[in-house]
Amino acid sequence: MEAGRAGADGGGGEGEIDLTPMLDVVFIMLIFFIVTSSFVKEPGIDILKAEAVTTNPCVRGTIIFAVNATGDIYYDKKQVPVDRAYRLAEAAKKEAPKANFVIQADVDAPTSALSELLSVIKPLMDAPLCASTDDAG
Amino acid sequence: MRKSNREAAADEAEIDLTPMLDVVFIMLIFFIVVASFLKEAGIEMNRPDSNQNPPESDATSIVVTITGDDQIWMENRRIDIRAIRANIARLLAEDPEQSFTVKTESGATAGTLLEVGDAAREAGVKQVNWPAEDKK
Repeated sequence: MEAGRAGADGGGGEGEIDLTPMLDVVFIMLIFFIVTSSFVKEPGIDILKAEAVTTNPCVRGTIIFAVNATGDIYYDKKQVPVDRAYRLAEAAKKEAPKANFVIQADVDAPTSALSELLSVIKPLMDAPLCASTDDAG
Repeated sequence: MRKSNREAAADEAEIDLTPMLDVVFIMLIFFIVVASFLKEAGIEMNRPDSNQNPPESDATSIVVTITGDDQIWMENRRIDIRAIRANIARLLAEDPEQSFTVKTESGATAGTLLEVGDAAREAGVKQVNWPAEDKK
């Protein structure tokens, strides 16, 4: 008892547990998960991209649609009909107003499906579309 | 009274760096996460406004048409995909400010479209315009 008191007096930190480091870790994890979860919704399908020599990074290209070889449109791991694409694109644009659109098109994707999707999201676009390609060079 | 004075003096004597380190780590993590998402790469395609008439004649702009069976037509000739860049570069040399338009017909594939767009960009075209396909 006597020794215990002496110890507590000697190091004031042992008397009460300091929660600050735990809170820090918690906040960091919180921020990490918030950021990772809401940033990019991946289309989630495997497509064979065209190769292009002039491939450049898509600036802020974080709203990603994918069109597969049969012309189906995918967004956020789900297949979506073309008339729903506008509402999804609008919601994504509202969430991140500076984001630009990216379309991942399979090499065999029909341009008609691509063109229709582009026409639908065109009113929301404030930069040219970034058509996803693989760097050939 | 004496005790509290001494405590205040001790607090002022050493600056606690922990909050600053916390902020720094949070910013670090934030930027790492943001940077890692900028991995999408591709080529830019511009969709001209529908009210603005697409250029019809070859005289004012370079027009490449991709037919429904993936043939590439330019200046009323069929052109091989490998020759497209040289042809665009030749036309561009006459007037470097020309606009470039690639038209597609229903049935063409995205691979051909992107190859033509890539060839045009390689030839020095500033912007690849891709107007909406005509509805049949």
